[in-house]
Parts: sequence; structure tokens; C-alpha cells
Amino acid sequence: MISKTVECPKCKTHVTVQGNPGETTVLLCPNCNIKGKFTFQKEKTEIKTISYHNIIEVKKLTKMFNGFKALDNISFNVKKGEILGFVGPNGAGKTTTIKLLTNLLTPTSGLAYINNIDVNKNPTKALLSVGSLIEVPGIYDYLTPHEMLAYFGKIHRMNKNEINQKIKEVLKIVKLSEWEHKKIGSFSTGMQRRLAIAKAILHSPDVLILDEPVIGLDPRGIKDIRDMLKHFKSKGVTIFLSSHLLNEVKETCDRIIFLDGGKVVTQGTIEEILNRIKIDTIEVEFLNQLTEVDIKKIENIPEINSFEKENGFFKIKFDGKPETSNTILTKLTQQGLKVVSFSTKKADLESFYVSIMNDEKGVM
Amino acid sequence: MDVNRYIPGVDDFKNMYLTIKFEMLKHIKRKRILVTLILAILIPLIFFIVPPLLGQGYADTANGFAASNLGFVNLLIILSGAIFTGDSISGEFENKTGLLLFSTPQRKSSIFTGKYIASVIATWLFVSLYYLITSMEIASIYGASGISVEIAQSFLLALLYSTSVVSIVFFFSSIMKRTITSTLVGFFLLLMILPIITAVFTVAEVDPWLIVTHNEGLITDVLGTVNGGGFGPGQGFNLTIFKPDLWSGISVMSAYTVILFLTGIVMADRRNME
Repeated sequence: MISKTVECPKCKTHVTVQGNPGETTVLLCPNCNIKGKFTFQKEKTEIKTISYHNIIEVKKLTKMFNGFKALDNISFNVKKGEILGFVGPNGAGKTTTIKLLTNLLTPTSGLAYINNIDVNKNPTKALLSVGSLIEVPGIYDYLTPHEMLAYFGKIHRMNKNEINQKIKEVLKIVKLSEWEHKKIGSFSTGMQRRLAIAKAILHSPDVLILDEPVIGLDPRGIKDIRDMLKHFKSKGVTIFLSSHLLNEVKETCDRIIFLDGGKVVTQGTIEEILNRIKIDTIEVEFLNQLTEVDIKKIENIPEINSFEKENGFFKIKFDGKPETSNTILTKLTQQGLKVVSFSTKKADLESFYVSIMNDEKGVM
Repeated sequence: MDVNRYIPGVDDFKNMYLTIKFEMLKHIKRKRILVTLILAILIPLIFFIVPPLLGQGYADTANGFAASNLGFVNLLIILSGAIFTGDSISGEFENKTGLLLFSTPQRKSSIFTGKYIASVIATWLFVSLYYLITSMEIASIYGASGISVEIAQSFLLALLYSTSVVSIVFFFSSIMKRTITSTLVGFFLLLMILPIITAVFTVAEVDPWLIVTHNEGLITDVLGTVNGGGFGPGQGFNLTIFKPDLWSGISVMSAYTVILFLTGIVMADRRNME
């Protein structure tokens, strides 16, 4: 039996762990309650691995394409049962990351783990419990959904009855039940997308890696996918979701990573991100049409940085402090202006996204 | 499937088997199989039906009839090889179906080997059908005793040649981006380029034993009815015809089969799904 003191990576508390060489011991940090696994090397000295229930773990991942750095030393993790939103403009490196996580690309350097298994070294084991949808995959258009899905079911060692039952189940989820035995070649783009999603969830995976899953879907289809993601989250499925649709990400994700130019720009929970957004705009509506004199009076209020009309509302820019907002309202009424509505603009991810990205990027 | 239940090797073979079945299903579902089927039935039937219609008899011997009939099996082999193998790997990359397939928990080499075997099986099936029809024709013209050991030897050589053809096209499919390119390069290499090189070698009086299409001649040579070869420079006629040697030919076809299959697997395995 040997003892080893290790440092908790979150709270830096020193924790002592005991075990035999080659043995893996579960440890709980007394301070922050994070669980970890410790494997003692056979040489009795070093700790081999430390993991904290991260289902996906990416360490210093870099990918070069003919001299172009598509991914630049990125690191992040996704915890069990979490939905992580992966957001960024076109060319940010989202799909490259997903392809590295699903063994479609080989990293230039760095590591990607799923369930503590190195995807690059042991893809067959790492991808066993993963369902994925990457870019817009081609579909075998001369087959029927049943024929295509049956093959993927067999790859996951599902038996015949299980395959038949699950095919019906997933096709019902993606609203393709009536098309089970019709040729895929006659499907619309949206239907093909739904079928690809059905393939991703066929084997009830523990981890879902989805790259822009709602592309090509109508609003109803988007809602269905959103509901499906929430359903899987309630079942404890870990979801890694790349998307352009910030509202979708806000609706479904626990945490967001913003990626740009192959680098992680920032990350945090939805709440943390929204708290970081500085609200510096007030939307005001007046009862009467403003005269030139009224506008002059408003512009002369020292707390107001700028004042302009937009979509029937007047937008006031200020320093973002609540007390300043209150002062502005007081001064407007003191000027004799009849205010119908007065509200600070709500924080949204789009504003945050625009504020952290360099220039105009493709956000929907 | 539970991670701990995954058994390397055993599961790789199982995945390979599943890929073979899936590829066979894809071959059956595609209309291109009809083209091959029509050729495999039509060519031997022409040799059976046309001579009586033109008022001509069949060859004197069963092997003679087989030799003229099987002289065209080469075309079927090249066509089948190109059709069933040309898109086996390049198609997954070009059509992006690889995004579905390669992200599954199976070794890429299992997938590619399964695809290769499925192409070999499909090609063998049509070659077998061609020989079956030819044998039935021989039985109806010359009696069952007309189906000789030499025809069986010819059949085995045709299967070996088919496998080497599949390996060649498989190699091109593993390195080329577009399906149409890999299919056409394989097709024209076997049908035109290699035979032209053989002809050039022959004119230069160099034995083209290393060229796989030259050894394809063994398929009919083993029937023992061809008298060509061996007549050297004579007065006013100085063309030398090189007959492929049986064992050398088998070795060359086997070498093409193994080397190009393995190279194809390595090249395909290294390709990224960009």
C-alpha cells in the first residue's frame, strides 16, 4: 500500500490517496466534492491519470491543414449529463474539433478522450457509446431507411428484434415512420437530415456529438430536435452541440464555448455569459411625437451618451449602471415628457457573440 | 455495446462480415448490377446462338468452343471490377457517406477489407455465371463429358485474374478523390493502357511477363487450343509472340492482388475525412 498526495485541480486542496501499484482508486475532494480516479503506476511512485467524470476531454488539440492552423491548442471538457454548446463563426474550427472527436481526422498534436479512452489511439472503443451527426453527411440514396439503419444497428451489436424496434422508435422521433421502407433518394434535404439524426440516436448512445443538427429543418423540425435534446438530457445523455443558432444554444445548453480562429475565445455557463453582458441601452416610447425642442432637451441630459430613433422606439445609450437608468427616467419626466414605456434591453447571447468576435461573422 | 465486451480481432472480423453483407446489399440495390448481369448472360449466349443462325457449325472440340467463348470473359472481369470497386472507397469520401460510416466504432481497415471482399465476391459471381452458361452450352453441344478439367483450370485462373483486377481498381479508389476518376482510370488501364504497353514490349521483343493483363491470356491458353507463341523471326515476318507461363502468370496475378490490396488499405486508412 502506498500513499500519495495530490492537488485538486479545481480548489487546489491537497488530498491524500492510498492504493496498491496498478490499482485505481476513487477519491472525493473534501472541499469541493469533485470525484476523481487515481491510478498508481506499477513503479509505486507516479499517478498515471486523473479524471473528474469528464465524458469528453480535449487537451491542447491542434490541427494543421497544409500549413493552415484550423485548431490552435484548444482544451475543454464536457461533464457527464451536460449539454455543451460549441459556438463560433464559419471556419472557427467547430467541425474540425468534432471530426477529431469522431476519428474522422487525425490531430497534428494534442489528445481527445471520450470516456477516458483516447479517440485517436483506440477509436473502436472510444466511439462505442457515441452517436454522431457531422456536417451534412451523404446518404445511401438507393437504400431505404430501414436497410441503412439496420446496418448501423448491427455495428452496435443490436439483435434483430432490438433493431426493428429501435428503428421504428427513432423514425417516429424524427417523424419519418411512414418512410421506413421507401428509397432515401426520394427524400428532401430536411428528411435526409432527420434520418441522419435517427442514425445518431439509434443505439441509445451515452454521448451525442451533433454538428449543426437543425440545418435544413423547418421551424417545427427545429422544435422537435430541441425537445429531443431535452429528452436525452433528462436521460443523462451527455451532448456536445455545435450550432450557429444562438437562441437554440441558449434554450438547450448548460454551458457554452465560443470558438474563433481555431481558438477558444471564452467559455462559461449560460448564466455566467449573460451576466458578463453589459446592458447599456434603454428603449423608450413616448406618448406624443417628440419635437425638435424635446429632442434637444433629451440630448442635453448629461447621463445620456447617445439618443436615436429605431423601429418606432427611441434608444438611449448610457453607462449601464442601474442608478443612471433611474436618473435618466426621472429627468425625462421632469422635462415634461410623457413616457409610455422605459426598459433596459435584455441581455442576449447574440450581443455577447458580436461583442467578442472580431468582425461580421455568420450568426443566425 | 459495452466497452469491456469489445474484443479486438473478433469484433473486427464481425464488423468486416457486416460490411461485406452491407456492400452486397448496396450492389444488389444499384441498377449497375443489371449491366453486368446482362453482359454475363449475353456474351456466352451470342457464341451459342449466332453460329447456327449464320449457318456455321461450332468448334470441333469442347475446349475449342470454350476458348472462343471465354476469350471475352476478360471484358466482363474488367467491367465488373471497375463497376463494383471503383467507388468502394473514393465514393465514401466524395459523397460524404463516410461521415456516417467512419465515425462508427469500427476500424477503418475492417470497413475497407469488407468492401474489397464484397467487390471480389460480386465479380466472382458474374464470372461464375459466365462459366456456368458456357458449361451448359458445352454440355448441350458436346455432352457433359465436354466439360473438361482444363475448363475448371481456366475458371480458377479467371477468378484469380478477377481478384487482381479488383485489387488494381481498389488501389485507385483508395487514392483518388473522385469516383468517376478511379473507375475510369482502372477501366482504361486494364482495357487499353496495359495491353498497349504489352504490345510495345512485344514489338521490342521484351517478354511482358510482369504485366497482369498479359497473363490474362492464361485463361484461354490452358484450354490447349491456341497455337500461337514461340514462332520467332522468319523471312519477312519478325513478330515474336510471348506466351505467359502458367506458374509465372499465377505468381504475377497473386502479387498484383496482394500488393495492391495492402497498399490500398494503407492509403485508405491514412485518408482524412476533410
